[in-house]
Amino acid sequence: MNADQVNAYLAPLRDRYPESRALILPALKYAQTEKGWLDLEDLEAVAEATGLTSAYVESVASFYDRLYLRPTGRRIVSVCVTLSCMLRGSDQLYARLCDLEGLPPEGGTSEDGGVTIQTAQCLGYCDKAPCVQVDVDETEGPVLPDEAEEFLAKVRAAAQPTEVWR
Amino acid sequence: MPIRNIVYRHLEHGGDLTALSDYEASGGWKALETATAHMERDDVLYALHRSVLRGRGGAGFPMGRKASFIPKDAEKPVYVVCNADESEPGTFKDRAIMEHNPFQLLEGIALAGYAIRSRHGYIYIRGEYEHQARALDRALEAAYSAGHLGPDAHGPGEPFDITLHRGAGAYICGEETGLLESLEGKRGQPRLKPPFPAVAGLWESPTLINNVETLASVPPIIEHGADWWAQMGTEKSTGVKIFSVSGHVMRPGNYEIVLHDTSLRELIYDICGGFRPGRDFKACWVGGSSVPVLTKEHLDVALDYESLQAAGTFLGSAGCIVMDDSECIVRATLRLAEFYRHESCGKCSPCREGTMWMVKLLDRLVNGEGRPEDVDLLLKVSGRIQGRVLCALADGAVAPIASAVHLFPDEFAEVARNGSPPPTPMIESTAGAAA
Ligand SMILES: Cc1cc2nc3c(=O)[nH]c(=O)nc-3n(C[C@H](O)[C@H](O)[C@H](O)COP(=O)(O)O)c2cc1C
Ligand code: SF4
Ligand code: FES
Repeated sequence: MNADQVNAYLAPLRDRYPESRALILPALKYAQTEKGWLDLEDLEAVAEATGLTSAYVESVASFYDRLYLRPTGRRIVSVCVTLSCMLRGSDQLYARLCDLEGLPPEGGTSEDGGVTIQTAQCLGYCDKAPCVQVDVDETEGPVLPDEAEEFLAKVRAAAQPTEVWR
Repeated sequence: MPIRNIVYRHLEHGGDLTALSDYEASGGWKALETATAHMERDDVLYALHRSVLRGRGGAGFPMGRKASFIPKDAEKPVYVVCNADESEPGTFKDRAIMEHNPFQLLEGIALAGYAIRSRHGYIYIRGEYEHQARALDRALEAAYSAGHLGPDAHGPGEPFDITLHRGAGAYICGEETGLLESLEGKRGQPRLKPPFPAVAGLWESPTLINNVETLASVPPIIEHGADWWAQMGTEKSTGVKIFSVSGHVMRPGNYEIVLHDTSLRELIYDICGGFRPGRDFKACWVGGSSVPVLTKEHLDVALDYESLQAAGTFLGSAGCIVMDDSECIVRATLRLAEFYRHESCGKCSPCREGTMWMVKLLDRLVNGEGRPEDVDLLLKVSGRIQGRVLCALADGAVAPIASAVHLFPDEFAEVARNGSPPPTPMIESTAGAAA
């Protein structure tokens, strides 16, 4: 993404903040919607639009779990493994998902680049444990280990959103 | 012990209050109208004070007292910040407010802003809650169109704006000064206190930070009066409180109850349906994961701030995680330790290194590679963290670990000898109660 596009997105937000530095997170999140992760060009575009250096922008971006500085799969599947979900089978669900995608226990991106499977910390849907979030779509649950295959099929069949919010 | 629907006004109404007309029809925005037309700003502040409404985000500090720390003659702009980061394990009560009753939150923020002479509020919402953020976007648009927010929100020519700001995945951005750093466009690492946010917060301006539920409690308090709120509960635990219950109970969900009226046993067994046949209560983290664990002995404790403190724990965020006797306490404790290791922001070495060591030791125990001395070592490591760090994340990490070692000594000793038994999770599609 280039600085003009980021600027156009930020224009209506600017008068909401006394300092343009505060626009970094909105800008990074928007810049990431193009391909689902941030490369150097994206960081530079955000830096230009917010008046900061790209080194600074990168140091901010690297702090947040949902900003990706490396290529990812087309969709990111985040499986909550915090206590309430663990008590209801999140580890078994996660293992099954990795298995089905031929991934090691640490997760990662499937060979065809279709999905990235990762663990997540409490998603705030503990009443629906074990729960899973695809990109920033509404978190779903309970997704039982036996339903893993069906779940992945659904994720893969869904149309790729034009803006990939994560 | 009955369920109340005061903060969850949508449940009283019998359906979502996401359309402005529905919220208005259920009495919405009346509190703000009455306050701005008939009450001085200090009267609103005083009402908050007298209600003894305590912060619902975790620390339980009285909101009125915090608001009164905001200087009345500040030269800089004054801000209200709503903490919608909701990332404490086991906590999902704010999610339902934002999704089903968003206007009550906006009205509460506007009222808090009126009380402290602020013209601008920010809501900082965790990035994972995009679904809820969009509900708030729609509510904001409708509230602006109707003039509840904007140039005349606090009376003719008295503006109040609310801006929604999305996070991007970091538990520490729920800590109030980490949140402010993040909102300013920095890494979300906590600041040294003092100065407290009320004196120098967002852009070094006086800032009132409150949790979603705290702020959503303000409209009913202004509408029905501080005395009405304060006569519920006890002197120090007033009003209603939402408990998020999850884990092994049959009916997980959000339940709004009057403080002190319900015991932990009633919450777990009567309201949440207890456990699967053949299973029994074993442990519970009542206030989210950052609190000491409770055992069977504590089941009759009343759910209020003082009683829980007397029982050795905290009400915290009221994210009540319940575990039955099918799970090993050491494995559960390890899982919490892993959470804190992942979420430590790394600024203080005792927290960064300590959470790493606690995970290593617990992991060793669970996997049958531990030694009996490891249990003592775990306590030693945890003892070296507290008091040497910048923020309360580290205390929150130590609390569930140290308390588990103290309350389940036999199980820790057994696991140190033989490792944890294989996990047997509860795999059932019992969905949460509607909230
Ligand atoms: C590590 C950590 C995480 C926190 N996370 C949250 C959170 O997600 N939401 C929240 O409202 N408060 C959270 N808090 C508490 C806030 O620091 C602060 O006390 C609270 O927002 C004040 O609002 P209240 O008085 O209305 O509770 C957290 C505190 C710590 C130490
Ligand atoms: S105590 Fe931990 S989380 Fe808090 S500032 Fe220090 S390192 Fe960061
Ligand atoms: S523990 Fe998984 S959503 Fe809270």
